[in-house]
Amino acid sequence: MTWTQFVTVTLNGLTLAALYFLVAVGFTLIFGLMRVVNLAHGSLYLFGGYVGWTVADRTGSWVLGALAAAAVAAVAGLALQQALLRPIQGQDLREALVTIGVSIVAADLMLAQWGGFTYGFSPPAAISGGARLPVLGIGYPKYRLFILGFALVVGLALWLLLTRTRLGITIRAAIDDRDMVSVVGVNVQRLFALMFAFGAALAGLAGVVGGSALSIASGEDARYLLASLIVVIIGGMGSLAGTAVASLLVALVEQYSLALFPTYAAIVSFLLMVLVLALRPQGLFGRPA
Amino acid sequence: MSALISTRTALALLVLGLLATFPLWGSAYFVGRVFSPALFFGIAALSLVLLAGYGGMVSLAQMTIFGLAGYGYGVLTVTHGQPWWVGILGGLAAATLAAFLFGLVAVRTQGIYFLMITLALGMVVYALANQNRSVFGGHTGILGIRAPELGGHLLTERALFYEVCLAAALASYFGVRYLLRTPFGLALQAVRDNPRRLAALGYHVALHRLAAFTLAGFLAAVGGLLGVWYNGAISPTAIDVTRLINVLVIAVIGGLASVEGAFLGALAFILVTNFASSFTERFNTVIGLTFLAIVLFSPEGLSGLAARPVEVLRRWRGRRWRASDTLDVRQAVGRQDE
Repeated sequence: MTWTQFVTVTLNGLTLAALYFLVAVGFTLIFGLMRVVNLAHGSLYLFGGYVGWTVADRTGSWVLGALAAAAVAAVAGLALQQALLRPIQGQDLREALVTIGVSIVAADLMLAQWGGFTYGFSPPAAISGGARLPVLGIGYPKYRLFILGFALVVGLALWLLLTRTRLGITIRAAIDDRDMVSVVGVNVQRLFALMFAFGAALAGLAGVVGGSALSIASGEDARYLLASLIVVIIGGMGSLAGTAVASLLVALVEQYSLALFPTYAAIVSFLLMVLVLALRPQGLFGRPA
Repeated sequence: MSALISTRTALALLVLGLLATFPLWGSAYFVGRVFSPALFFGIAALSLVLLAGYGGMVSLAQMTIFGLAGYGYGVLTVTHGQPWWVGILGGLAAATLAAFLFGLVAVRTQGIYFLMITLALGMVVYALANQNRSVFGGHTGILGIRAPELGGHLLTERALFYEVCLAAALASYFGVRYLLRTPFGLALQAVRDNPRRLAALGYHVALHRLAAFTLAGFLAAVGGLLGVWYNGAISPTAIDVTRLINVLVIAVIGGLASVEGAFLGALAFILVTNFASSFTERFNTVIGLTFLAIVLFSPEGLSGLAARPVEVLRRWRGRRWRASDTLDVRQAVGRQDE
């Protein structure tokens, strides 16, 4: 591998990590707060992507598409939580089964609506095209650098929210001990609804952001569900830092192994997961159950 | 009571007789395209029922193991030109070994984590099969897989294949029912209900889980061999996430803790996919909604629905209703591992 290749692969890994982080962070926060494994999370990503594409196509504005994706996914997530999950709250396995059922129906209905085509986005001119990096004079798509910056901003904002605001403190307290927080007078149900809508909105937004880097097509829901699963299994459930570190680890390992030995790349992420589970079953940043 | 048992036995014999002679009087379509696949998918679902209903482990990797048996058979017989019996032994061994390895990783976790890890393992194997050309044949998979020949008859001839599937299904069915009555089976159910207490009694909980997972893997592998003979080919689509979930749908439709339910669920599933597809293209939506309705409203599945009239009848006849085999699935599915 030459230096140029190495830098390019590393950058690919970093931007993929950014994308994984955007998708998985909602998944892990929802789990951390309410112990719901939302296996329809990938469906929300795909749904956001499709809606975003449709809106962007009609209005000609990528930004409007992204906002619409976030809004529509938030509403869908909220509806899922309020209508289907709330009645069986606390039964974690049954909740997971319900989200599986939703993902089956959602995948089929989205296939009916948008067909088996591949959709590509055209991001605004300011963030499309190529940029020449100061290092080694390597050319790299501006858009991918934008994803990297965007994920950093989202991660930083979330960190500030969770550590510096009253809402964030309440959320962290609820992750640690739901019952106690509810006893001191916090409306935990409202917190749950808010978090579910927020996590879904991030997934929907990631549908447009990620779809613009790659593309949107049926089957992407499973891909991002797998990414979210591996990231949170490795990082530890409900941990922001864990999600960030695991996204980096998984994406970099995936890209390096794809460059070095393409046919066995899947095995490497498998081994990574096995290794972490063997050493720390609760994940790198997870607390013991 | 003796009258009840004899009616039961008579009923069981009648059902067995009807099933065994089905190719003689049933339509070719139902024998070949509905019942045969229902039997081998039923075996795969049974492996999940054993794990989920009786071991408290909802595994989403059962179809992966099912598919790996098919890959093993295909690789040995097609790629390496080995005879069919080597393919059978190799396929079973490879899939059971894979189940053992998955088990090593997964049994350290419980409940929802177990589900996620087995799902992730299954999806990783799918990705591997899709990318790897040298062994798995990449996206195309392995084509032209021939079933074994017995005395000049290819095993996939309609009636013969049905009987083979029926024999395998019956063996699995009675095997699992027997297993659940053995000390091992009882300990497994105790592991499901209270792992901590069982550990305190001196049982090796993880080892019990691992043994159950490996055994269920063997069952799934048996189903997988029948499946690959039926299809004559195997490709990554046979182990994609939809298939992984389908077997859970089958088990839940049948009743997650019902040994009979595995086969009933498979039959219902195949009927819905075959017939719903003739009047709507959205049969996956139909399946998904059925699944949702069952998870939300009738956790015992179809066998639970079927058990209800029986229960009412027995109460009406003044007999004490035994909870017997049908344990409270509401608990099995909804339990929280705190």
